[in-house]
Amino acid sequence: MAPRSQQLALAEGLARQNHIQPAVEACYQALANNERDPLVHCLLADLMLYGDFYDEAINSASRAIEIDPDCSPAYLALGLGYDRRGGMWDQSILVWHELAEVEPDLVTAHVQLGEAFAAAAFDDEAIDAWRAALELDPAEARAMYNLAVAALKKEGMSTALPGIRKAGELDPTQDDLFFELAGVVDDGNPAPDPADVPHERDAMITAAGALAFEDDYFAAAELIRGVLEDNPDDPEALGLSAYLYLKQEAVNEAMACALRALTISTRTPTAVYTLGVAFSKRPGLNRNAARVFSALAKTVSGHPMPHVLYAESLLGLQRYSQAADAYRTAISLDPTCVRARFGLAMVLLTEGRYAESMWEIRRAAYHDTRHQGLFWQLYDEYAEGRS
Amino acid sequence: MADDAAARLYQAFVSEDPASAISVIEGAKSAGTNQAQLFDSLFAPAMSLLGGAWASGAIDEYTFTQAAVVAEQIGSFVTPPAAAQDTGVTVLIGSMHRDYHSVDKNIIGAALKEAGYRVVDLGVDVRPADFLDRLEETGARLLVVCASMVGTAKNVARVREMLVTEERDNVLLLVSGGPFVADLELAKKVGANGVVRGAESALRIIDKISRDKLAGGA
Repeated sequence: MAPRSQQLALAEGLARQNHIQPAVEACYQALANNERDPLVHCLLADLMLYGDFYDEAINSASRAIEIDPDCSPAYLALGLGYDRRGGMWDQSILVWHELAEVEPDLVTAHVQLGEAFAAAAFDDEAIDAWRAALELDPAEARAMYNLAVAALKKEGMSTALPGIRKAGELDPTQDDLFFELAGVVDDGNPAPDPADVPHERDAMITAAGALAFEDDYFAAAELIRGVLEDNPDDPEALGLSAYLYLKQEAVNEAMACALRALTISTRTPTAVYTLGVAFSKRPGLNRNAARVFSALAKTVSGHPMPHVLYAESLLGLQRYSQAADAYRTAISLDPTCVRARFGLAMVLLTEGRYAESMWEIRRAAYHDTRHQGLFWQLYDEYAEGRS
Repeated sequence: MADDAAARLYQAFVSEDPASAISVIEGAKSAGTNQAQLFDSLFAPAMSLLGGAWASGAIDEYTFTQAAVVAEQIGSFVTPPAAAQDTGVTVLIGSMHRDYHSVDKNIIGAALKEAGYRVVDLGVDVRPADFLDRLEETGARLLVVCASMVGTAKNVARVREMLVTEERDNVLLLVSGGPFVADLELAKKVGANGVVRGAESALRIIDKISRDKLAGGA
């Protein structure tokens, strides 16, 4: 096959930098030179999706597949186009099924296939597809969100809520909140070797945070122990300890550390967060969790996750309309917040508002797939394979 | 007094003595602390003491872990019950004959059950006569009929007709589903007493009915 043309290379570069309009123009120039290049068509389809031009995206992706039926990024763009346009579930199912065949290890293809089945009311087939996705990747949060929605439809909120919380724990955005509260910034550098950290409170806390960020809980705990030996009443050290216990499923130890931290200083957001999460893991403590997350949402009002956590505790209290408000606040802060959109979809289902619920799930799916950078992954693999 | 009880509960934790922990809890209850307050007023302060003891090195990691296990064992004694108390009110729910939509019904039924109502789920495609039979069997006075299509929604009138024929004027008929939400007149036409617009609406309406009209009977 032909190598990338100069215009296509230009379009790609612009698209990767989110310069959509000039990228579209470059695509059209590339097509003027060679109308039969599937790469240009599928890139154009993705750009059209970005601008919410669904019909144009569908046309471009279809053309790419027509030229080369193995063009996997075009299947992705076509499926997303059908899903977001709505009302084309039969086509959508076929496309995701096709992509799952072309790329059998592509987890997202199975998740999307499940979503297309669910939208067409084939609930059992949808559940099978999500289970297939979880077999490929047991940490696939979106498949679990979808299974939680399926549980809501069959058995109600009390069955669905643990599912959405479990999915939320797999979703890295919840940990992102903790690290933001702890002031841990991902600067791209590896965490320091604990042996090299000076015996100085701030240095040890910072290094422990960095080690926790890299999931090295034991090394982080060693450093925190050093801080507590100097001052057992250090609330930040206790807040971080609570998190480390929580990550190791030691909920009561986490609760004890967080409560101690808050006894010393109520202004310890990391302890507030870990206490709320510990409460939300205990059936019967939704009221406590709601109180804690409400306080956190007020303290960190500009971050979507406290509002999501607050909303989930309200679901446990059957205060669905208040939960919807909290989810909407989270979405207004971050329209790409997948967990908030799935949560809002669940609330809308409890109100019988199916179309709006499906719309939220479609938005969540689109943003999640975009977050993963899946289009570019498939695009690059395909481009490499043909050169 | 409360501080003292929390200290004794903490001591029971570190002594790995669940029996003592339970007797502290029972003592607090006898002294007038109600179940809903036990967690905040007794368990949480004891856990804070535990965290403090671990932080200061007064107890080692092993003791901390074992104390946390005891806290786990007695957790159900101090945690408010996850499910609401039984209200004693029975609610019958089902989807109308020839209506196979179950999501509304399932979600509303589960929410009511979680709130302590005795929910009898008749499933989908329920004939009007079956609603009547189950009302007789259960003695329920609250019926929620779900219908997601205009045709089946209109047929809810047959349920009302049968209730009138059987002189079951004491039964409150609530309807749920898109056609009724879109057209309140339709609900009136089929003889419904009210329209349920989802789970929270069902909880609110049925709670009000239970307090206002059903006091003293199912």
